[in-house]
Amino acid sequence: MLFEPVEKSMIVLNGVSRIFRRADGQLVRAVADITLEIPQGQFVCLVGPSGCGKSTLLQMIAGLILPSNGSIRVADSLVTEPSPERGVVFQKDSVFPWMRVIDNVEYGLKCRGIAKGERRTIARDYLRLVGLSHVEHAWPRELSGGMLKRVAVATVFANGASVLLLDEPFGALDYVTKRQLHDVLLKLWAQSDSENRRTVLFVTHDVDEALTLADRILVLHSGQLVDDLDISVPRPRTADSLLLAEMMNRKHVLLAHLGLEGATALAAQMEVGS
Amino acid sequence: MKGESIELPASAAATIPIGRANRRTTPWRIDPFGILGIFLLVSVWQLLTIFVPSSLLPAPHAVTGRIAKDFFSAQELTYFGLPDASLLGSMLYTVENVVIAVIVGAMLGAVAGLVTARFRLARSIFDLVVLTAGTVPILVAAPFFLIWFGVGRASAVMLVLLYVAVTLYLFAQKAADNLDPVFEESARTLGATSRRIVWDMLIPGTVPQILGGVRIALAGAWGLEAIAELLGSQYGIGKAVELFAGVTDVEGIFAALLVLGVVAVVFDAITAFCFGKITAWSVVARPGGR
Repeated sequence: MLFEPVEKSMIVLNGVSRIFRRADGQLVRAVADITLEIPQGQFVCLVGPSGCGKSTLLQMIAGLILPSNGSIRVADSLVTEPSPERGVVFQKDSVFPWMRVIDNVEYGLKCRGIAKGERRTIARDYLRLVGLSHVEHAWPRELSGGMLKRVAVATVFANGASVLLLDEPFGALDYVTKRQLHDVLLKLWAQSDSENRRTVLFVTHDVDEALTLADRILVLHSGQLVDDLDISVPRPRTADSLLLAEMMNRKHVLLAHLGLEGATALAAQMEVGS
Repeated sequence: MKGESIELPASAAATIPIGRANRRTTPWRIDPFGILGIFLLVSVWQLLTIFVPSSLLPAPHAVTGRIAKDFFSAQELTYFGLPDASLLGSMLYTVENVVIAVIVGAMLGAVAGLVTARFRLARSIFDLVVLTAGTVPILVAAPFFLIWFGVGRASAVMLVLLYVAVTLYLFAQKAADNLDPVFEESARTLGATSRRIVWDMLIPGTVPQILGGVRIALAGAWGLEAIAELLGSQYGIGKAVELFAGVTDVEGIFAALLVLGVVAVVFDAITAFCFGKITAWSVVARPGGR
């Protein structure tokens, strides 16, 4: 399945920079002059080496930190603070340990003033969709790492955010659990029709993960956007999909951007060969 | 909303403790090794009484006999003019003071600790004052409290209250500092207001450490209350100890201290049980972890 996004910009970044002051007083530019548009409904992966500014960029779009320069607009509104319209799945476990699983999933709805009966129905639907109906009354400490991520994903989807920001959410999980969660995420994302589909920005340093999930891959290096790749291979993408010529080429380009020697030359050869 | 559910591997589902089975894990249980420890203590005590004269170290059975005799009416205490001359009456007075001081002190200390953890200015103002107050030794502070609040309940309660409040201030502040900011960030992205963040994140997230602090403060409060009563009070188990000491009634002192110790242990067990129920979600609050 390949989804054609509706061409309406959901996320617009205009000359966004972010400068931090380190403990030793030195100024560090984490994100440098990024201008970018992401259409509504697109699944975008943001890749780059460690410390290149991926998480900073995502946190700025979430409204958790503000840019030093430039502006960020989401759904035509200027981002100045966090909003339930921009759901975030964090790298660390963010499921509230003092709430039962179902209370976690419906917490955002509770904050938005949805009646108890209605929010419980919505939460149960999403728990069923992520395969966790049987643990709705469990405490988070009783769940595995993969299940906690399912709860986090169900929580942001249940809250009805139009933009989902995921910051290396599956980085600490084993290969099988990660693949299961990719399926969960893509099924939840694809359940809406194209006009209502959520826009996803997924930060990862795992090239295969980006190739498996994305419509488009943005490459960040030293705080700057250095490449913007479209992925046209239809979904569902299996391990075999990653062996297709287009995917192999993209993979080598990405690996070259990540600083792996020789990958650039190989990518160029494959470009000629294809 | 219609959708297809995603199958969970059977192995994952089978290992999750949920529902009624989980409720069997109570936060309080009788530890057989604890009983063994008490048995060893009594045995050593009994052994020592063979070598030490009873005027210095009374035998365990003599002390328990004295407790039974003095529990409802103690003639020795009546002689000194105590209005409720019994171990029970003295202990109830002490219990009342400790409970009042711990509840009020814990609330004041915990609220102040959480507020100062959230507001840098409040922290700058209060930290030095509270920490200075916390370093004053009890024997130095007690005379001032007796002068300020008189010989009676108020001075003893205030002394214990100060100790509990300082302890809880530090526990609550540390608990708030240690709360992972990811929870607040997550709540904000889900639409939580500042008020909701305090009620839904800060308070429940710090409760296990605060309740742990209450238990520690409670354990210390019994001794402090007894000292406060011993130094200047007309009632209480500490006063009874002072009177027994005045006539070198070692058996009476042992009886009063044993009653105090047993009550402290019972209160600790009750609070541990209640706190375990309140923080059932927490791994650290449960004896022996998960």
